[in-house]
Amino acid sequence: MKQTLTTLYRQTGSSYRKRVQGMGTFGILLAFVVICLALALSTPRFMTVSNLTIIVTQVSINALLAFGVTFVIITGGIDLSLGSMVAVTGVVAALFAHPDTYPLIVPLMMALGAGFLMGGFNGLVITRSKVPPFIVTLGTMTIGRGLALILSKGRPVSNLSDTFNFIGGGQVFGVPFPIIILIVVFVLCSLLLRKTIWGRYMYAVGGNEQAARASGIPIAKIKMLVYILSGLLAALAGIVLTSRITTGQPNAGQGFELDAIAAAIIGGTSTSGGSGTMTGTLIGALLIGVISNGLDLLNVTSYYQQVVMGVIIIGAVVLDGLNRKK
Amino acid sequence: MNRLTALTLTFLTTLTLVSCNQNTDSAEGDKPVIGVTMLSMQNEFIVNVSDEIDKKAQEAGVELITVDAERSALKQIEQVESFIAQGVDAIIMNPCEVEASSPAVAKAQAAGIPIINVNSETATKPSAFVGSDDVESARIAMKYIAERLGGKGNVIMIHGYMGQAAQIKREQGAREVLKNYPDLKLIASQTGEWDRAKAMSLMENWIQSYGGQINAVFAHNDEMGMGAVNALTAAGMKDKVVVVSVDAIPDALQAVQKGTLDATVYQNAQQQGSQAIETALKILNKQPYEVQVLIPFQLVTKKNVAQFVK
Repeated sequence: MKQTLTTLYRQTGSSYRKRVQGMGTFGILLAFVVICLALALSTPRFMTVSNLTIIVTQVSINALLAFGVTFVIITGGIDLSLGSMVAVTGVVAALFAHPDTYPLIVPLMMALGAGFLMGGFNGLVITRSKVPPFIVTLGTMTIGRGLALILSKGRPVSNLSDTFNFIGGGQVFGVPFPIIILIVVFVLCSLLLRKTIWGRYMYAVGGNEQAARASGIPIAKIKMLVYILSGLLAALAGIVLTSRITTGQPNAGQGFELDAIAAAIIGGTSTSGGSGTMTGTLIGALLIGVISNGLDLLNVTSYYQQVVMGVIIIGAVVLDGLNRKK
Repeated sequence: MNRLTALTLTFLTTLTLVSCNQNTDSAEGDKPVIGVTMLSMQNEFIVNVSDEIDKKAQEAGVELITVDAERSALKQIEQVESFIAQGVDAIIMNPCEVEASSPAVAKAQAAGIPIINVNSETATKPSAFVGSDDVESARIAMKYIAERLGGKGNVIMIHGYMGQAAQIKREQGAREVLKNYPDLKLIASQTGEWDRAKAMSLMENWIQSYGGQINAVFAHNDEMGMGAVNALTAAGMKDKVVVVSVDAIPDALQAVQKGTLDATVYQNAQQQGSQAIETALKILNKQPYEVQVLIPFQLVTKKNVAQFVK
């Protein structure tokens, strides 16, 4: 019964998608508001401007990665190489960001270039070889970690210029720069996904690849695009992270891919492809950040934090599922 | 790839591996061969120890087979097993874990090959241990904090990975000192997993909850200490809070010089590396040797930092 309904809705296309996405985002938004209220009641230090600013700054790196992986998951893929790409691009940026060497544009372009190449490599292998994305990106995850260690000779790359460190640590009119990057990238990603033909193709490829192929959608190009986007956004995250901690660290970003995927899934992106929104992903990332910050404020030890985080991830998805059924 | 190509490739790889092995075997006649397994070549301090082992070995005319255990005790045991199979003359192990790396020690000893632990310990006693007492490093750091605060104030502690030998010992040392200063209060502690970004986020959150109450921070390593410094500087609070950490990595030394990090504790990678080779050679040449070579820690502050910066 459920299956026939789904097929029926699939056929009716975008109206089904809009309804489901709307409800999915609403469910997660509700959970987010409830958790924020609970934290605000537990500690007066939670709902302050400075604390909320810090949460969004802390969330920005995970959110950038989560936006990238949302594109990928919508097309039915996955990208496990995010954390390693953060390390490679971060080290690359740091190598060119020593004071009095190159202008700021050089480390930025080099890092974005590295992200472009790694994402492009993922996309190329996936579209040409038909090896599942899970396997390909598992491979690039290891390759990337190795490259980061080779480039940095196993040591953190420190002594970065003040202009470079501004990206992660500076403020514009009192707003931390990572937040500004986050907002700009969020708007661009949302527009790409919702207002362009490319975005619509992404949903189509993930929803039903055969139907998409039959209707002449350039599947290989779309897949290349999403992995390159994922690589570029990972590079941006790598730049922000490196600048924030003022060193390029070859072992940075371990496990970041899991947090990013969690944010996308909590935000209502379906792992089977074909649905998901940037707004949902942003709320997912914020939710993870709020929980971690709130539990630190309440001085809950990290052992319990991990348990709480897991429960909330499952809870949010269950809540989302219930909402969809209604 | 068809089956034949796969088979050929496997064959070729095996051949290369076997011929590599023979190379090391044939060299065994001329000079002693020492197998070295390091905890993680992704850790700057460990890389420094390993570099020093290489340097000293070259001077002494020893052939080394150095491998990276990548933080896996299981992998480390397998590496030691392969050293035994290759018939090395001695093994230097930088253990991944206290308990889980112990079987490697037992296996080497059963095979009659001397094994030297460097930098950290195992539950099973090796032929010799070369390293520093982690408890001492934390005592030095916490004593410095106590002196700076006049024995009175609120302290925050950022732990390493919970349950690792270094974390357990550094916590123990810190708490020993805290006991002697009843007015020095530990108001919060949490793990930063040895990671700079994690420690920075933790510190940002603590600044929100404790603000001006924080007088000092003790971080179990420099990476996390630097993260705390970053967060405090961003909040404009660094002048009011004393931050001390352990390891004296180049970045931390630079920060001490600049005055952003108040102090770090120098763990002597050079001495650990060179003493490990020396002890191994003493054992091989049947000379008397010390079963426990303890290399002292040194407090590094702005006053004496110049002598540590290369």
